[in-house]
Amino acid sequence: MSLSRQRKVLPGFRLTLGFTLFYLGLIVLVPVAATFAKLGGLTWAEFSRAVASPVTLAAYRLSFGASFFAALVNAVFGLLVAWVLVRYQFWGKRLMDALVDLPFALPTAVAGITLASLYSENGWIGRWLAPFGIKVSYTSLGVFVALTFIGLPFVVRTVQPVLEDFDLEIEEAAASLGANRFKTFFRVILPMIFPALLTGFALAFARALGEYGSVVFISSNIPFRTQIVPVLIMNKLEQFDYAGATALAVVMLAVSFLLLLAINWLQWWSTRHREQA
Amino acid sequence: MTASTIPVAVRRSATTEPALVRWVLIAVALLFMALFLVIPLVAVFAQAFSKGIGYYFHTLAAPNTLSAIKNTSIAAGISVPLNCIFGVAAAWAIAKFDFFGKNILTTLIDIPFCVSPVIAGFVFVLVFGRQGWFGPWLLEHGIRVIFAMPGIVLATMFVTFPFVARELIPLMQSQGRSVEEAARTLGARGWQMFWRVTLPNIKWGLLYGVILCNARALGEFGAVSVVSGHIEGANTMTLEVQALFENYDQTGAFALASVLTFLALMTIVLKEWVERKGTAGFSKRTTL
Amino acid sequence: MSVEVRNISKKFERDTSALDDVSLKIESGELVALLGPSGSGKTTLLRIIGGLEFPDNPGAQVLFHGSDVTGLPAHKREAGFAFQHYALFRHLTVFENIAFGLRVRPFWKRPREAQIRERVGILLKLIQLEGLAKRFPSQLSGGQRQRVALARALALEPKVLLLDEPFGALDAKVRKELRLWLRTLHEELHVTTLFVTHDQEEALEVAGRVAILREGKIEQIGTPEEIYDHPATPFVYDFLGNVNLFKGRVRDGAVQIGDSKFAAPEMSGDNGFLATAFVRPHDVSVTREPAGPPAFAASILRFHVIGPLAELELKRTDSNETFTAQLSKERFHELNPHPGERVFVELHNVKVFPEDYSI
Repeated sequence: MSLSRQRKVLPGFRLTLGFTLFYLGLIVLVPVAATFAKLGGLTWAEFSRAVASPVTLAAYRLSFGASFFAALVNAVFGLLVAWVLVRYQFWGKRLMDALVDLPFALPTAVAGITLASLYSENGWIGRWLAPFGIKVSYTSLGVFVALTFIGLPFVVRTVQPVLEDFDLEIEEAAASLGANRFKTFFRVILPMIFPALLTGFALAFARALGEYGSVVFISSNIPFRTQIVPVLIMNKLEQFDYAGATALAVVMLAVSFLLLLAINWLQWWSTRHREQA
Repeated sequence: MTASTIPVAVRRSATTEPALVRWVLIAVALLFMALFLVIPLVAVFAQAFSKGIGYYFHTLAAPNTLSAIKNTSIAAGISVPLNCIFGVAAAWAIAKFDFFGKNILTTLIDIPFCVSPVIAGFVFVLVFGRQGWFGPWLLEHGIRVIFAMPGIVLATMFVTFPFVARELIPLMQSQGRSVEEAARTLGARGWQMFWRVTLPNIKWGLLYGVILCNARALGEFGAVSVVSGHIEGANTMTLEVQALFENYDQTGAFALASVLTFLALMTIVLKEWVERKGTAGFSKRTTL
Repeated sequence: MSVEVRNISKKFERDTSALDDVSLKIESGELVALLGPSGSGKTTLLRIIGGLEFPDNPGAQVLFHGSDVTGLPAHKREAGFAFQHYALFRHLTVFENIAFGLRVRPFWKRPREAQIRERVGILLKLIQLEGLAKRFPSQLSGGQRQRVALARALALEPKVLLLDEPFGALDAKVRKELRLWLRTLHEELHVTTLFVTHDQEEALEVAGRVAILREGKIEQIGTPEEIYDHPATPFVYDFLGNVNLFKGRVRDGAVQIGDSKFAAPEMSGDNGFLATAFVRPHDVSVTREPAGPPAFAASILRFHVIGPLAELELKRTDSNETFTAQLSKERFHELNPHPGERVFVELHNVKVFPEDYSI
């Protein structure tokens, strides 16, 4: 049934769709298209030089590596925090629940300078680690800490609703079959919330990959050592190397897009066998 | 057979852990949260007031700070209402009608969400910058977009683009069409139906989306960093924080940062309040 | 294995007693139904037996074959439990669901893989779902899921099987099929089984003994025939089927309703008391020919036919009491009633309870 022939009961379709497409095009699609257009103007040599140079490869390694481990830490501790918030009662629970949103709401620059100063050698936390020879600020460890901070809410907020809706009868069934709490958790609960956990991990990972503000202060941003991809792109912009910046931006866009697809697929997969009648 | 007393240790249901395990887990969770969230939060304010209250207000009253506040307010003041209108329009089109490409549209709306802020700013440089598509034309007409406020506003609009739509689309989809269709059969005109029927139903979801949108607008850093010229007096609040920090005025940077932190805490409080109010329908626990 | 509970009491937050000093003994191999309306405490009792909840009072005891398991948590009790909504593990196949209890055993008690496969195979055959081993619960019908839930509980060869409204969530036809299947299963396996239901037809059809609960207490226990033919209280009478109530007065071992006297042997010795007579609709006979006492006159208000039976609503001529008669379709067509007609009614199997009882 074509659009024109379908009688619409509700009004405003053309108005809202038209405005939506116009606004979307203006604010999002045109700029993004410009990037791909610019990409088209690059020679293959320029592209590969930007995308595969040693500096870039080092930046990829750090970005992907630190983001991955930060998301992993968030997966473990995020699950713990979600579990504790959903299952237990204790003083300060509501406060803790609200605080989980802090990394979302706080501007990345504020997070950046705060973490940088906290973990510096005479910072509140850094001074405890210094005697052990552990340096956080201005190292890749600092990058990891910053990325863990900003990814924290993703896992908690993705797992929390699933835990809240979890059918306690299933746990009772496991108990009636002889499973103690430990076995029940690892054989029944964890497998059932795993898709949500994985989605949270993917979201935290995707966010960490593109993060700039929280990281740029705590990292020394030295190429080959503590430079993440967004900082590298920023560098290229400052040097007016638009070609290089475009090449990298396109790669990052492609990765983001793939991650978005993966997350959508994960959310589909998680409901596949888990619907109740 | 003597009557037995039930051991206290066993006095629990089949679905909770022993008390010891519970308390250990709670302690670890609290420690983790304290380390990553509470300490930084306290540190912001501690550092901000480390040189006394006088210095604190001196920083906030400085011309650069005031213009930063003004610039941020302009950027948010333009982005949030426009994105709000867009969000409502998009959610209306997507939730109440069926058309080809609906899913693609929804995915496209999500683009700014999964793009790195640096890239978000960069794409505008490619369009409006000196070497960009409209670069020469803008230069001719003496209009500056990049390295000026318009660029900052555009970049802010880009990154805050999906927030209201993302809240409203699932909400309006779950509400269906029946109420509006009923209003139509009772003779309501388009705008009447919208104001009297649709809007009241979505008001909490809309408010929630606006709160998130606003928080992001105030706090955006990466994207505006790319499009601004880092010119004194032409910064947003986040950029000014960076400027102060890099010029070794740490206390001043934290002073301004504390204002942003306070706004962030207000955002959280408002968010909780709205979540409690509008329990039916809209997705709580949304990621920013 | 026999199951006994002694002096079980439990309260819930709103200060309502879920169970009030309940004691019950179930012999090894019995199939017993716990029957009652919602809130009667039957599910709570079952869950306490299964270890999913615990009684409030220190004197309470739960005994499996004489040994005290009151303090044991659910995962140590070795009681098979089936839930109303099956509680199957959605992320596991049918095979793995059934095998779960075996896999979860501590490693020194765990059977080898081949033994697990064999055992699950036997159970799949028992529940007649051999071809569906690799399916997931979401791919099964309600009746199939409940059978898997039962097989899962049976895999551990439990000494007692506890079923919480096992067929409550199913369609009427599937319910009937599974009831029969449960009886056959019980006859084959002879596992002590206790099941909870609010459907009196189910309890009377399936169980060897029925315990009727009301507001946390056991009203009566007996075989289905016992409790139906000889209900101990008006509540039991009313719960097990439809009832007509007549007001009357007891005198000399009979109850006087209007001008008619009906035998009430259990009330002999009480004289002059007001009483309520209980009569089942199918014990009310209706005739056109005038008949002498104890039959009395009544007029037909309305009637309707439901499947193989017909129900007539009648009103006594001498008072305004209305009551219902249930006739077979044959008898109904013989009678050929019309609204407003006068007929004669006789009551059989009248049961009398003193006036101060209330349903």
